[in-house]
Amino acid sequence: MGRRTPKRIALGSFVIVVAVTAVVQMRAQSKNPYPNMDALDRYLMPDRNSEIALARTAAPDSISRDAKVLVLGPHGYETAVEGKNGFVCAVERGWMAPFDNPEFWNPKIRGPICYNPPAARSILPMTYKRTEMVLAGQSKAQIEEGIKTFAKKELPALELGAFTYMMSKEAYLTDTGDHNMAHLMFYTPIMDSTVWGAGLDKSPVVLNPQFAREGIDVFMVLTGMWSDGTLAPVNN
Amino acid sequence: MNRQAFTAVTVLVFVVLPAFGVALSTRAQEDKTPDPSMAPIEQYLMERNAEIALARSAAPEAISRDAEVLVLGRHGYETAIKGKNGFVCVVERSWMAPFDDPEFLNPDQRLPLCLNPPAARSHLLLTLKTTELALAGLSKAQMFDSIKSAFDKKEMPLPEPGAMCYMMSKQQYFGRKYGNADPHLMFWFPKTDDMFWGGGLPGSPVYVHQYSPEPITEFIISVSKWSDGTAAPTD
Repeated sequence: MGRRTPKRIALGSFVIVVAVTAVVQMRAQSKNPYPNMDALDRYLMPDRNSEIALARTAAPDSISRDAKVLVLGPHGYETAVEGKNGFVCAVERGWMAPFDNPEFWNPKIRGPICYNPPAARSILPMTYKRTEMVLAGQSKAQIEEGIKTFAKKELPALELGAFTYMMSKEAYLTDTGDHNMAHLMFYTPIMDSTVWGAGLDKSPVVLNPQFAREGIDVFMVLTGMWSDGTLAPVNN
Repeated sequence: MNRQAFTAVTVLVFVVLPAFGVALSTRAQEDKTPDPSMAPIEQYLMERNAEIALARSAAPEAISRDAEVLVLGRHGYETAIKGKNGFVCVVERSWMAPFDDPEFLNPDQRLPLCLNPPAARSHLLLTLKTTELALAGLSKAQMFDSIKSAFDKKEMPLPEPGAMCYMMSKQQYFGRKYGNADPHLMFWFPKTDDMFWGGGLPGSPVYVHQYSPEPITEFIISVSKWSDGTAAPTD
């Protein structure tokens, strides 16, 4: 999939390309294996240092070693390491997926991500907000409504050049395919996906509707390279 | 040219040199560069259909087949094919290279790119303006001053939000040093800090080019395949 996907794709948040397949598969199975939130412990990583290390794998060491690092606790994200370069690294969970993604509550999802400074200021607040509502025990429908309100009233204006690295070899982004794909993500106001040639045959650009409710488009560019410099597949 | 080599060259040309404040002392540059003056115009021109095909090869066919295509004539770029999707494909020549690039005015250089609609409305005007100056026979110093003046007077637009282009042609030729380089995408912003995207740092797939005299920052992201879907060299 990915480069050869002809239409706007129902991608799973940072959960990439293969979500279309996932949707089809899930429908075929007629039962979503993740209909509700699982026990909180299943979303947490027991070892704080492991989560710090995993978060940092999202970007090359030259970027992530000086980044602020967040870890998820029972009450939300906490700062584990203060940063020096304006980047912020964290490990996202399944609830950062689009609301109609069947893996929204998948407790296995681990999405290491490093936000550049504009994204840390204008995109990361959405991660905080969704996570806050999830940990407060709200239903998906309540979260969706809450996010709409948040986007209208509280979300900082999207900054020009907001951008994230998702190049971790250790990410688990979906149950399907290779579970992972190295990519960068660019955030823009909602626009026609064809403006970037996204989703067209052989284009390395894919539109991810992760933040459609928030009025933000996410364009992904497949890098073909993990953060450690080794080659990553691009056609799974 | 393989990716590592291109990266090294890119970092050298686009990052290291500007970082050390390489002054655009035009006289000094003209003494050093192997193409100190414009070659005969014929050396920059191409057979029309070949140029159309080369321009289109910058992006996957799904994008370029409906794009407007420009070709270079003796007096500037002309529309060869009207487009339907807002993209514009064009083969840039070596006067679009940085002024301190040794390949500046190299008549062999061919740089196909397809600009998306925001870039076609903003960045393409820089290509057209620079080409006009080159074809008018201006020296490098005169071109530099004219472009600087145009930006100072706000006669030239800064990149629109979302301005980007595809440069994925297997036939692209950057000149003696860079060869075919890598397939890549380029994103343009009003001048900003290199670290904005982590550009130029070891291991980052993002490279940065600070234009001069234009107040523009270009972020370059290598991708792994050419526009025809074949794999690019990875060694």
